[in-house]
Amino acid sequence: MWRTNVKILALVVGMLGAFILVANSIPQIQSEVPEALDLGDVTPEALIAAGERVFNGAGGCTACHGLGVRAPNLLIDERGTGTIGARCGNRKPDTSCKDYLLESLTNPGAFVVPGYQPIMQDMSRTLPMDQVWAVIAYLESLGGTVDVTADDVRASQPSGGSGTPGGAGGPTASTDPMEMINAFGCIGCHVVGGSGGPVGPPFDGMGARLTRDRIREGVLNPAATVARGYEAMAGTMPPTFGQQMTAAQLEVLVNFLAARR
Amino acid sequence: MTEFLAFVQAAADTTGAYSRFPLIGGRGAVWIAAEVHLMFAAFVLGVPMFAVITEAVGIFGKDEKYDRLSKEFTRLLLVAYSATAIWGAVLTFFLTTLYPHFWTHMASLFKVSMWIYVGLFFIESFTLYLYYYGWDRWKTGRAKIGHWTLGILLNVWGTCVMLIANGWLTYMMSPPAGVTAETLPEQVGLWNAIANATWMPINIHRFIANAVFGGSIVAAYAGYRFLAATTPEERAHYDWMGYVGNFIAISTFIVLPFAGYWLGREIYEFNQQLGITMMGGFMSWLWILQAFLIGILFLAGNYYLWVGMGRIPGAERYAPYTKWMLLVLVLGVIVWATPHTMIGSRQELAAMGGAHHPFLGVLGVMSAKNTAVNLMILTTFLSFLLYRRANAEPVVPWAGTGIAVQAVMFALAAIVVVFFGVYGYFVSAIVRIGFSVYQVGAVLATIVGVTAIDVFLLRGARSRGEIRWGQMPERSQYALFALAVTFTWLMGLMGFARSGIRQHWHVFEVMRDTSDQAATPALGYASIMISVCVVVFLGLVAFIFWLSELGQKGHAAEHAALPPPPRSPAVIAAAAD
Repeated sequence: MWRTNVKILALVVGMLGAFILVANSIPQIQSEVPEALDLGDVTPEALIAAGERVFNGAGGCTACHGLGVRAPNLLIDERGTGTIGARCGNRKPDTSCKDYLLESLTNPGAFVVPGYQPIMQDMSRTLPMDQVWAVIAYLESLGGTVDVTADDVRASQPSGGSGTPGGAGGPTASTDPMEMINAFGCIGCHVVGGSGGPVGPPFDGMGARLTRDRIREGVLNPAATVARGYEAMAGTMPPTFGQQMTAAQLEVLVNFLAARR
Repeated sequence: MTEFLAFVQAAADTTGAYSRFPLIGGRGAVWIAAEVHLMFAAFVLGVPMFAVITEAVGIFGKDEKYDRLSKEFTRLLLVAYSATAIWGAVLTFFLTTLYPHFWTHMASLFKVSMWIYVGLFFIESFTLYLYYYGWDRWKTGRAKIGHWTLGILLNVWGTCVMLIANGWLTYMMSPPAGVTAETLPEQVGLWNAIANATWMPINIHRFIANAVFGGSIVAAYAGYRFLAATTPEERAHYDWMGYVGNFIAISTFIVLPFAGYWLGREIYEFNQQLGITMMGGFMSWLWILQAFLIGILFLAGNYYLWVGMGRIPGAERYAPYTKWMLLVLVLGVIVWATPHTMIGSRQELAAMGGAHHPFLGVLGVMSAKNTAVNLMILTTFLSFLLYRRANAEPVVPWAGTGIAVQAVMFALAAIVVVFFGVYGYFVSAIVRIGFSVYQVGAVLATIVGVTAIDVFLLRGARSRGEIRWGQMPERSQYALFALAVTFTWLMGLMGFARSGIRQHWHVFEVMRDTSDQAATPALGYASIMISVCVVVFLGLVAFIFWLSELGQKGHAAEHAALPPPPRSPAVIAAAAD
């Protein structure tokens, strides 16, 4: 029987060895942890270097923007518009490269490049803001001019106070509904007044379709109910508006949408 | 705001949040404890499922052979239960001592469910003891039905235990929307935390996978006993038992990818980034390794069936088809294992004209891979069908029509799979994803429809000769070991995938891992850790089986009177239909 035991043992050891061999023969990619930057004397060069590490590592950006085809490749020329540093200033009218990249990273639904799905998440949920600025500096360096400064980085830190203009941490403290719709990026996915994106159900006529409570639920917990016809886009809307808006802003928005019949 | 809170939490966590463990570190210790515990748990949850089904076949079919088989399955569980509990305790102690802050978070949120869990495990253990030790006492009449009810209860308790534990781990992966680093446990709510986005998909996936895993381990046990058998009766019995275990493993394995699709879809719907990390991010190459493993499973499973047909009179008429089925399987594995994007140097990428290989790139996309795997599933189902009817000659008057309808169903399914596979190249990604539903639907409908017809087709079928249980080449038993090792390793790999997509988060986007081992390792390191877990598990399982055999040495009479297995594979297949 010992001969059988040896054969079984050899089979098990051989198989495990083969699995380990195959696993070690394919590309070895480790998921890195975002590192905090030393903000004492941060230079553009340091920001670019840090941004490149985040882009290729902890940010996970290359999964879509590097080798893949799910999103615009930022590292190479796209349709004759150059690399991202060269084309970022021309993406949106009256929007500088820096502002466009910041918006793309922290409110990606606000503008989706034609031909692509709105699959990107708000990167400020997974990366600290100094890392976000580092990525912006790195992307600007790819064919453009780096104008991210230490002041930008400091201003976005909580102690700086100026990075969170909204009372609850949102992009605006205004209670004007249209200003809020623009500032929170709703317009990127929802049609209001005939303009806006087709990703989510239109705000126009929403009051005739949904109750006030249902609208409020949709803002606070978008995953609770998915609008008919938009199942494929489920999960796209960030569930963070409840944290970003003040109670007054939320009620203004709900009233505004409920009145659009 | 979120990053501020994360940093505040990180600062607070840095002190006393983690402890060190010698040699392998805290992460390695928890990894091994969690994985080995999970492997034992899958075994003790999977085996009772088919133990109770086999006992029912024995009771209602009035065939004592199945009752004996069921008891033998259950005997394997006894010591395995203790091992499961021991490894669960090891995991708990490691978590409390190595990750105290994380454990406090989980315990404060899930404490009520943890108390229920312990209570259920207690009840489950004693139900098992009653089930096994009462076997010979409650043998007949109503007492036997009562005994069978104990088996059902054993499954109910086990499933409830699994559902609770799945709530904890899926909360770590997909916490409810709106939960942030500053949310207090009482604000989250226990049920809200348990019933998160990936809870039910994981429940279904694990439920099926446990049956697959249990079947493969039982088959390996039977394979060993077959090789060690000294009498023709013993060889026949364990040959049959190995066949049953393999049948359970492969037939349930066939439906596992569908549960996997659902889980993947829910992960994407919960968070696109999590989904992309899993399929397209740093874990993308894991799926190539998975394809390699599943290729081994398909090939070994089919090989065992094909070799087994050698002991069935009449099976030789199907032998010419084997090479074509092998061709489909091999081509399927090759397509499935084709990478989507190639990692290469700048020069290599320039030479290829991008990250996609000019020829192989066409095969590395989901359209091709879905087509390949669905055809492989159809082929494996065909192997089972041919094995099942190997020595059976249908006698029903509509036999010809029935077989023709079955053939048409196979052909239609293959056409649907290939059509949508090719069409997928010409539509957008969002439309293409929907095509997999049609492909899967066609294959599932064929499996259900053809099986239903087959049950009636072979009713009262004429036998071409008795199946020669025990006359199986020894090499076939090594296929059973290969299946068990691969299933176990695959379970470890998929556990790494599920846990690893959280990356540097204990609870995704809620609680950061701020330890010095927060980075999720690459596949090479993971493969070594998985192999360690597999060696520990299989070593302990071998020891447990030896122990259970040791306890049986005194029951020589029981051994001497091993019942002869059934004469046709269709009998056990029909029982499982």
